[in-house]
Order: sequence, then C-alpha cells, then structure tokens
Amino acid sequence: MNNTWFLYMAFAAGLLFVGLYCLLTMKNVIKLFIGIEVISKGVSLALLATGFVKKNTLLAQSLVITFIVVEVSLVATALAIIINIYRHTKSLDIRKLTKLKG
Amino acid sequence: MIWQILLLSGVVLFSILAILSKDLIKSAISLALASLFLGILFFQMNAPYAGVFEISVVAGLITVLFMLTIALTKAEGDVRESKLARLIFPLVFVAFILIDVLVMKGLLQKVPALPETSESGAFGDVLWKQRTFDLIGQLAIILAGVFSVLALFRKRNKDE
Repeated sequence: MNNTWFLYMAFAAGLLFVGLYCLLTMKNVIKLFIGIEVISKGVSLALLATGFVKKNTLLAQSLVITFIVVEVSLVATALAIIINIYRHTKSLDIRKLTKLKG
Repeated sequence: MIWQILLLSGVVLFSILAILSKDLIKSAISLALASLFLGILFFQMNAPYAGVFEISVVAGLITVLFMLTIALTKAEGDVRESKLARLIFPLVFVAFILIDVLVMKGLLQKVPALPETSESGAFGDVLWKQRTFDLIGQLAIILAGVFSVLALFRKRNKDE
C-alpha cells in the first residue's frame, strides 16, 4: 500500500461517482450513455493503476485492452439501439420509453 | 507526482464537463479529451499499448460514433434536463471526494489485490500466450456486436 495507489484509486472512484450521478439524474439517452463511458474510464484507470503499483503492468495492460474491445462493441450496439429508439419515439427522452407497447 | 495529479484532474474535469454541458456535441468532445488525458496517463504508467488503444479507439472511434449518432438523431433541446441536478452537483461531488479521501485508504488495506511480482518478457508473450482465452472472448464479443448492429439496422421487406 502506498500513496500512488491511493491517489489513483481515489480519482477512479471520483470518475465512477461522476458517471453514476449522470445515470441517476439525466434524462437524455445519449447523456446516460456518456455516463456509462465515464464509469468505464474509471474502471480502466483502476485496473491499470493497480497493475502499475503491484508491478504487473503487462497483465494489467492486456486486461485493459480486452476491456476496451468489449467497450467498443458495447458502444456500437448501444448507439444502434439509441437510433432505433429515436426512430420509434421521435425523441431521446428516457421517460417516453415507459410507454412501450407491442 | 504533480504531472500525474494534473492529468488525473484533467480526466475528472473533462468527464464532469461531459455530463454537465447542455450541448451533446460539446459533451462528446469533452469525453474525447478526457480519454486523451487518460491515454497520456497510461503512457506515463509504462503502459504504451493500453495508451495507444485508449487514444486511438476510445478518443477516436467512439467519439466518431457518438457524433454520428448525435447527427442522426437531431433532437437538440428535445429533452429538458433538470436544473437542480446541475446546481447541486458541486456540493454532492465535494461531499463524495471528502468521504472518498477518508475511506479509501482503509478500504485499500482490506481489499486483496495481485501480489507484487516482477514480470519479465514482452507484452506480446503475456497477451498471446497467457491470456489466450481472453482473445477468444474478444472475438466472440466483436462478432456478437457486428451481428447485433446488422440485426438492428436490417431493412424490412415490403410484404411485412
């Protein structure tokens, strides 16, 4: 345990908080997704910082790269879903999705 | 140490800008800048491959995808975010940072992490030989992503 790890993890927790706050308070679907992106930044920072402090940088790097690939695939799919939502409801408001039918 | 703190503050600051700004384009650009800072930080942590991936894929490709979606949906000003959420954010954030600083040190001592080892060899050895199973997972996820996007954008036949 040293101060560097503490610094990185404190900032990673801050990023996670910013993303969660966005998810809890915003209503625009794209904004919500930006919140998820911010959370994923916090996670990759936490992964790599732990690897760096414990001198396991190579393993942490390969995990971060796997994470980024998964993230890109997620982004592509989610944005396609958002475009479809917009075509259906003509709006990006998440509250209108409560009125889905058939 | 000061550089690291500056870069980390940049990442958090631009992330906050990304979630608080009213314009979606500005949000996407702030997110890209946050990724850029994070990529530079990865380079400083002796992780050049992760840094390259972060800057090229997350700051580049994902921003382009966001811009495309914003251009295709054209619903600016359609959704009104509550002003209260923006106003109370600084208060809540400062409170969280205080709790974070107080609690995190105790938490880190309790959470088990990887033991300290001295790694040897090249990055390629670790990625291709030790983590081969991850690569299979990545392939499966990329294929799943491609097929899901194809399914979401398929055109309807006239008979349907």
